[in-house]
Amino acid sequence: MEPNLNLDRRSFLLSASGGLAAVAILPELGFATPAPRLADPIGVGVIGVGRHGRALLDELQKIESFKVAAVCDTEPARLSGGQRRAAGAEGFATHQEMLDKAKGVQAVVIATPTHLHKEIALDCLSAGKHVFCEAPLAATVEDCKAIAAAAAKASTIFQPGLYARSNPVYKLARTFFKSDSVLELIAMRAQDYKKQSWRFPSSDPARDNAANWRLDPAVSIGLAGELGTHQFDVFQYYTGRYAKGVRGDGSIRLHNDGRTIADTIHCDFHYADGVMLSYSASICNSYEGRYEVFHGSNAAIKLAWSHGWMFKEADSPTQGWEVYANRQQFHNDEGITLIADATKLASQGKLKEGIGLPFTPAYYALVDFAGSIADKKPPACSAAEGARASIIGILADQAVVGRKEIDITEDALKI
Amino acid sequence: MIVEPACPLPDHRATPRVPGGIAAKFPGVCLAMDAMRTRFELLLPGEDSPRLRAAGEAALGEIVSCESRLSLFRPGSLVSRINDTAYKAAVLLDGDTFELLHICREVWAQSGGAFDITIGPLMRAWGFRSTPADPVAAGSCEWGFQHIELDERNYSVRFLKPGLSIDLGGVGKGHALDLAAAELRAAGVSRAFLHAGTSSVLAIGDGSGSEDWRIAVSPDPSSPVVKLRDFALGVSAQRGRGIDDCGVHRGHILDPRTGRPAPGIETAAVVAPSAALADAWSTAVLVCAACPARDDLTGIIDRGKTASPRWVVHGPHADRVTTRAGSAALRS
Repeated sequence: MEPNLNLDRRSFLLSASGGLAAVAILPELGFATPAPRLADPIGVGVIGVGRHGRALLDELQKIESFKVAAVCDTEPARLSGGQRRAAGAEGFATHQEMLDKAKGVQAVVIATPTHLHKEIALDCLSAGKHVFCEAPLAATVEDCKAIAAAAAKASTIFQPGLYARSNPVYKLARTFFKSDSVLELIAMRAQDYKKQSWRFPSSDPARDNAANWRLDPAVSIGLAGELGTHQFDVFQYYTGRYAKGVRGDGSIRLHNDGRTIADTIHCDFHYADGVMLSYSASICNSYEGRYEVFHGSNAAIKLAWSHGWMFKEADSPTQGWEVYANRQQFHNDEGITLIADATKLASQGKLKEGIGLPFTPAYYALVDFAGSIADKKPPACSAAEGARASIIGILADQAVVGRKEIDITEDALKI
Repeated sequence: MIVEPACPLPDHRATPRVPGGIAAKFPGVCLAMDAMRTRFELLLPGEDSPRLRAAGEAALGEIVSCESRLSLFRPGSLVSRINDTAYKAAVLLDGDTFELLHICREVWAQSGGAFDITIGPLMRAWGFRSTPADPVAAGSCEWGFQHIELDERNYSVRFLKPGLSIDLGGVGKGHALDLAAAELRAAGVSRAFLHAGTSSVLAIGDGSGSEDWRIAVSPDPSSPVVKLRDFALGVSAQRGRGIDDCGVHRGHILDPRTGRPAPGIETAAVVAPSAALADAWSTAVLVCAACPARDDLTGIIDRGKTASPRWVVHGPHADRVTTRAGSAALRS
């Protein structure tokens, strides 16, 4: 159930009165959706079982609502690895073969290279399958729109893999954002730093190019598209607004191995009301990892995948509950930890440990997918929203590649 | 463990825990990460850095994935789910985890119960799992692999008794190294050295030229040195964490046969075809103070400075275990 996001300041304070009750009341709003209990689990086929696809297989097997019935990959070694992760699942070399022959596949998870999503997603929707498609949805604006259009016509569920929409920490923090806790939005900032080469090994040199599609300028949408899309969506999810333009830049700072895709980028997004979003990503350094920050006139909210914090301004009104909340020190700043399931953790004496999410964000997104299929309810993120987030990622990449400013027009985002 | 590789490293006595460690000036690609509450390092000799780095990163990815399945400390892990629900209903496993449990059962049976992953409740009772020690509570713990059912047709595990829990702390790092090595081999890597916290080691191919990787079992100058090639080494030692057992200081390894800390020897090492097997057997050897009677395993026992002989080596690869000077082979 979508939590009530329209809490005004008064009702928020009323519900938040009484020490930990401020945080404690929030889980009752349903931040972590339970997996539906089904007599017969939903048969799911995973298309693309590389590193990420295998991680999704692990998550799917934690969810009783799903049974992995099939896995699919064009590379035999990966397919074999995928089948080891999902005992009993049938293996197929192509998605079409899987759609034609697999028994008991009602839903598919698409985790192939981004530029291959469109054909697969459209085929799966045509075959009447529920589709969970990793984000970014596609590598071109046209493909994103084609996927969204096909999803709109389909009678089955289509959920883009934008995990923030299902992440209990992000859903919890969003209620604070929507209340007066942050107040006037001043600026936004995000980064994704992780030291890695973005190269993927292949024992067969003939498959090297296919395995390293992220470094192929013909199909890659770079760090802004592949990493940024997920974070740009957080800002859209929270503010309900889209940037009007983006200026980008990037260069190769470490992985000087003949690639042309920048390993370090920076983007500045500007919004109609003057708010700016500053974004950077790098695969040369890991410091501070991935996070998003909302700077407001009353407080800042920092979100880091499995954890969230609020940093209050000294002159912001005291709401009572935060006096008792768990805190963490960050150099000169003290953050109030935003923890889902705070009541339970407090009763277990674990609140002080600053525990993050018990499951990965992918798990919660897949649970939501199961719930949408079972209850025939709209997905946590619509295909249109997924397409818009992906388009913004694609345009940001174009800004980085061209080292220029690009307008994000209403037409570009029209689905 | 000290690596004494045939590769020209700057300081052959530097342990990997030293900043820079064995990775410093290594002629190839060195990758490291923290996982399973320890440090994993991968050394990949060669000149094709981009290809080796890609393979190494894929191997590290396997370690991350392995940790997310086996961690006892993550509520969402596969092991947590097994411990929470395997008594109520069988839990389906992936092929790799099922195979690991199969190895654990095999070592449990062959060692007479000296290695047993079902000592989870005991580990908690003795205070080794972020819980206060309560040795009295250990008396009421339930454990024993005989209460675990592995279904080979469905790849599932089921607890036959309530109150059981598994703890893969004694074998998880080795298993992660095995999965990482498989990823490296699949990527065409023919020479590599991998270790987890210096207690689990795996060598692919040779270190340099035709020479094997040479690994000292402990920092002690008299420590045996094992020559490894396409084999793994597991080392268990009582040093480090310890507990008070009826007024006697004991190490952190429990004897599943008694439910109490193992009184045995100082260090045990096992050379085995896989790192999971080496890890499991090194624990069993430490508990039993006896080398495994298997024709594919070599056991090395440190009975302490006052014992004579101090080092006991037995098994098919005993001739691969030498002194640090490389002079005479150590044999039991």
